[in-house]
Amino acid sequence: MPIEVKNLTHTYMKGTMSEVTAISDISFKIDDGEFVGLIGATGSGKSTLIQHLNGLLKPSSGTVLVDGVDIWSKGVSLKQVRRKIGLVFQYPEQQVFEETVYEDIAFGPRNLGYSQTEIEARVETACRLVGLDTELLSRSPFELSGGQVRRVAIAGILAIQPKVLILDEPTAGLDPRGRTEILDNIKQLHETGMTVILVSHNMDAVARLCERVMVLEKGKLVFDGSAREVFAQREFLESKQLKPPEVTILMEKLRQRGWAVRNDVLTVEEAYAEIIKELPRRGVAGVL
Amino acid sequence: MISGGIIVGQYYPVSSFVHSMDPRAKILISMIFMIVLFLGNNFYSFAVTGIFAVLAVTLSKIPWRVLIRGLRPIVFIMSFTILLHLFLTPGEAIFQIGPLNATWPGLIQGLFIGLRLIILIIFTSLLTLTTSPIELTDGLEDILKPFSVIGVPAHEIAMMMTIALRFIPTLLEEADRIMKAQMARGADFESGNMVQRAKSLVPLLVPLFVSAFRRADELAMAMEARCYRGGEGRTRMRQLSFSAKDYYALGFTIVMSALVVYTRIRFGPVIPKGPV
Repeated sequence: MPIEVKNLTHTYMKGTMSEVTAISDISFKIDDGEFVGLIGATGSGKSTLIQHLNGLLKPSSGTVLVDGVDIWSKGVSLKQVRRKIGLVFQYPEQQVFEETVYEDIAFGPRNLGYSQTEIEARVETACRLVGLDTELLSRSPFELSGGQVRRVAIAGILAIQPKVLILDEPTAGLDPRGRTEILDNIKQLHETGMTVILVSHNMDAVARLCERVMVLEKGKLVFDGSAREVFAQREFLESKQLKPPEVTILMEKLRQRGWAVRNDVLTVEEAYAEIIKELPRRGVAGVL
Repeated sequence: MISGGIIVGQYYPVSSFVHSMDPRAKILISMIFMIVLFLGNNFYSFAVTGIFAVLAVTLSKIPWRVLIRGLRPIVFIMSFTILLHLFLTPGEAIFQIGPLNATWPGLIQGLFIGLRLIILIIFTSLLTLTTSPIELTDGLEDILKPFSVIGVPAHEIAMMMTIALRFIPTLLEEADRIMKAQMARGADFESGNMVQRAKSLVPLLVPLFVSAFRRADELAMAMEARCYRGGEGRTRMRQLSFSAKDYYALGFTIVMSALVVYTRIRFGPVIPKGPV
């Protein structure tokens, strides 16, 4: 299920005074099984871009190819595109409406016309994937905690069983524990073979999870490459109102003090290994 | 966007004669205009009110296409009204469809009502197009103030309007977002018969109401946190004041009203027999 975007441009309110070009001339290709991070300052066009990938927005110009087929060409069912590409909006808990958690998760598969038994199986699988207790299924979603409703909402998309999962700030507004849990779930989903696109301001999460990172600035794609490469460039990121993960900054500070550590470290574990390696050379032996 | 076409409540920011008028004058003129428009009972009165409206639009520098786009939502109601008049007014027949007679008086009356609606919508949308919501409610509050002796809560009404107007775009945006979120789950808002379509709105309306109530709660809290306690003794950042152009405009409106009353007496109703 590769997704290819060619020269994509989107202009809101075209032909009026409040015309805004949200994204312009963006091209990229995402292959099966990739884990892509999409970062950029607020208003850089991230949300606009992802809404094109499942046909919620129609490009002003340019094309979106899913499996090599232009999704806006004649005879393509957008419903089928959305069945393959699941999009979880920011604060997805605001979209729940059913009386019970079960009904809400079943909304997607029901729209796609699956049988009762199939729907039941899908709801159960989706719950397992996001770590949602099946005892909650008969409860009202409005009684649950923030983290739990978020999980219900993500399960609602997973019940469609998409091949590609796009998440817009899935951890916004959650407590640290909820954040870690959701991110772990997403990681597991990727390990099952799902393509994942993660939009986030949480650089630590992006650095830890994503192999490839795309950086948007004022509607333009200004970087598309490996996470390691981009996060080592602090000045570049800061010029885009972004910043590297905390551990990467720590490594840079150590280097400024003459430590021979790598500057493209992305996780706490990597940083730990680097520091341990360097300690004896700095005359601090036998700490561990 | 689902907001396409609705222009009532949309401010069109350019600088013009009409834009710089006092909002109270504009509200008063709009009210007088509406009364006069319904006083007019023949096409001569429409010539007067029509010219007045065209003049106002020209002075406001609002492009005609903006106003015409604003007419789109009422096309259905208008055609329905015209058709009803065409077929249900007795008189000399033009043609027949089954048991229905289209009549000449019906045609004239239908056109008459249609024209009245068009002028009405154009002129009233001019008020909101040339007056920012803040100015509008400030003006309204001032106009309603004399009625507070008989218990009209002028300030509260104005505050309610400000809040309502302020949240129209927010709620539209929210509706758009929720709609997309449900479409991402395979919801279909566009096909099916009336019942199915009404049902398909549930996934949109429930979250929208939930969030509207939440917003109301938060807003009330935020206002209280800033010590809001109603209108008594509140001062304004911008004081309203009538200037020469407001008096000119009001004077001109009165002349126009007098002319309409004259045409009404001089020419009589468009269809002599029966009420219009």
